[in-house]
Amino acid sequence: MTTAVKANRVKQKMVVSRLLQALPILVLATFIVFSLMQLIPGDVAVTLAGENASAERIAQIREAYGLNQPFLAQYGDWLWRAAQGDLGASLLSGEPVAQTIARTFPNTLLIAVYAVLLSVLVGVPLGILAATRSGSPLDSGIMGAASLGVAVPNFWFGMILVLYLALTFKWFPATGFVSPREDFSAALWYATLPALALCTNGIAEIARQLRSSLVEIQSSQHVRTLHAKGLSPARILWKHGLKNVSVNLLTVVGLLFNKILAATVVVEAVFAIPGIGSSIVNAVLQGDFPVVQGAVLAMVVTVILVNLFTDLACTVLDPRISEA
Amino acid sequence: MKKQHRDQHDDDLTINGNGVSRRAFMGYLSGALAAGTLLGPTDVWAQSGGKAGLLRVGANANPSSLDPATGGSGSDHVFLYPLYDTLVTWDFESLKAEPGLAERWEFTDSTTLVLTVKQGVRFHDGSALDANAVKTNLDRSRGAEFSNIRADLASVDNVAVTGEHEVTLTLKNPDTALPLILSDRAGMMVSPAALEKHGGRVDRNPVGAGFMRFGNWADGSEVVVSRFDDYHDPANRPALGGIEFKVITDSATRLRAVMSGQADLAYHLDGRQKPLVEKMPTLSGSISSTIYVYQLYMNMARKPMDDVRVRQAINHAIDRDAFIRATMAGAGEPAYMNLPESHWAFDKQTAGLYPHDPEKAKALLAEAGYPDGIELDLRGYNDQSSVQMQEVLLAQFAKAGIRGRFRTGTIADMSAAYFGQEKTGDMLLSAWTGRPDPSLSYSLMYTEDAYFNAGSVAPPDGFNEALLASRSSDDIEQRKAALAKVQRLVMENALVAPLAFRQSIVASNDKVSGYRNNLLGKPKFNGVSLKG
Repeated sequence: MTTAVKANRVKQKMVVSRLLQALPILVLATFIVFSLMQLIPGDVAVTLAGENASAERIAQIREAYGLNQPFLAQYGDWLWRAAQGDLGASLLSGEPVAQTIARTFPNTLLIAVYAVLLSVLVGVPLGILAATRSGSPLDSGIMGAASLGVAVPNFWFGMILVLYLALTFKWFPATGFVSPREDFSAALWYATLPALALCTNGIAEIARQLRSSLVEIQSSQHVRTLHAKGLSPARILWKHGLKNVSVNLLTVVGLLFNKILAATVVVEAVFAIPGIGSSIVNAVLQGDFPVVQGAVLAMVVTVILVNLFTDLACTVLDPRISEA
Repeated sequence: MKKQHRDQHDDDLTINGNGVSRRAFMGYLSGALAAGTLLGPTDVWAQSGGKAGLLRVGANANPSSLDPATGGSGSDHVFLYPLYDTLVTWDFESLKAEPGLAERWEFTDSTTLVLTVKQGVRFHDGSALDANAVKTNLDRSRGAEFSNIRADLASVDNVAVTGEHEVTLTLKNPDTALPLILSDRAGMMVSPAALEKHGGRVDRNPVGAGFMRFGNWADGSEVVVSRFDDYHDPANRPALGGIEFKVITDSATRLRAVMSGQADLAYHLDGRQKPLVEKMPTLSGSISSTIYVYQLYMNMARKPMDDVRVRQAINHAIDRDAFIRATMAGAGEPAYMNLPESHWAFDKQTAGLYPHDPEKAKALLAEAGYPDGIELDLRGYNDQSSVQMQEVLLAQFAKAGIRGRFRTGTIADMSAAYFGQEKTGDMLLSAWTGRPDPSLSYSLMYTEDAYFNAGSVAPPDGFNEALLASRSSDDIEQRKAALAKVQRLVMENALVAPLAFRQSIVASNDKVSGYRNNLLGKPKFNGVSLKG
């Protein structure tokens, strides 16, 4: 009982310290993004002023939006408001950034989660299959396909999927999206092709990692002992093999989610999905910094939370981690 | 310039499945597919079919604003036209001015324009569109701090309500370009009641008198409008229940949306998609010229561009037909002046000035004192399609002894450096999006103080007079004659090297009927209906 209480304390301490560590990361990430925004060409004041605008008009707009303030003052102002929960509004459309995030992020999250689930559902059986028949033609076949899966760019694969599954067979829509909050089943249907495009790398990565971990464990001494004691290979695999690699697998899945979240930026463009990735791209191109900042903040927070959750889950699966 | 920048930035991803080992990928996919197909084609199919009478349009850009006076992008018009009727409209084929909300207009003298507003017109909010409403709009557009179209109405000195349905504009100088200016943003009438309610601007709550009323705008995603039952024009009762604009910035994705049934119509497609639009049996294409013209701007203050013979040589060196075939997949009209053939002010004589003739170009260069040819500092943009155009031009130039190298950068950087303070480069490969009245294009590009006249060189003798004459008469034949003179002066002196007019490529499925392209290249959906 005391050990359980102790383990809980350790977990609480870990959550608090992780959240505290996240704060400087958030500030740093938004600061870097803000600095990069200053470097890229394009001036939101010129965009706002429209065609044939006079230099005077552009100057007026800079003044009105505070764009003539020094860089640090602009960032400080943004940070101060953000700390109070005010992410501001888009310079171009006037839509509050919080609203933009609420509208677009669920779409992106749905695709990302869907893609991770597909990766796990397909990648894990493939990895187990390859590991249990290690060295067989099936193993080399799966691993060969996995190498290809890692190498294939997902936007290109997305186009191929569209070509066959949407345009030729008409099984899925080629473009567009339905918000999961409006109609979840329709949202899933629209999210299928983008998720398929995104999951190829994930399937390959999970299959490879799982196979190598399992092969390693199966050749270890304690597994040899289990064989010697007469345990069936299936029981060894499920009870001892998979349990041992689960931490490893979970870490891979956590990293994979973050990777897929980043990749949605491109895939959203290919499928014309109003997600947070396409919001960021549009906002960057037009110099609409409040939207960029807010959206990046939302993504960074998500990544930090996913990492935290992964770590917590790892301590549950392997208590040795919290003791360390 | 902003407008053409965006247009040029349409992405160019194209579907190309050739050469892909289909079996290899399908095999690899099978596992993933199994999971996907488990969902099955359920009732969600029905949703992609669209509600009755709802036209789903693939649009190329998110609007910058839905208030005609505050927006700044040329791609906004497609969203604005259904919401706002304009005082004046234009003929789809020639852009000649036609009555709109103003059923009549008359220049009682050269500086007085009297508009007669149609009776019984109501805005979407039920308020009346009368002379007072027109005055409120015009005064806001030419005076408000935030207005982006003050320059459009710069010639207006005063707007007076001279009757319940009569507005009299007093002008600072003769300006017969005004009626066509009132077919653009400046002529889009916003409900004064809505303006009052929303603090003077209606960026996100547009209320006009167009055939569609505003429904919803989700940024970067969609704009939805629905039928306005009290539309003023009984002859043109809207046949559609509504329009759903889906913002799809990539042109290949936009076309795919029509091919796979998520949209009924897509516009601003790329030249490279023209063969696909024409060949697909399920698609019908509307393909026609626009006044958007690719051209080489010239800085006439720099050597050797200051010599008219050099500029003429450049015009002779260009093979415009080959240029269109090589860079626009044939989807263009050769440009020998700033107006396409179907425009009301097109001048046939000017169009014959520069046949492709490298030998003549060489002779002109020799005459100008460059028997060994010239070396130019060329500027352009760095997107894929611009670079392709640059390569083709360099190859054509080489045959006439014109050498050079294009320095490229982003549109904003390169055009600011070329036209702005720095004045770098002899020529810039860019485009002109056109204006509703041609006299505006000429004054914006060629007068001495014009921003787009990079060298600030005074135009040839007689240019200003001819331009003034074109804005002083409201008789179309007289205007045509004056504009022909303007155009001839521009091209005889080779102030520009026009290359090609872009075509408007619109694809729709077989349910859409009644869609027509217009010369402005900004689709209007007034006569469109849906079958079935």
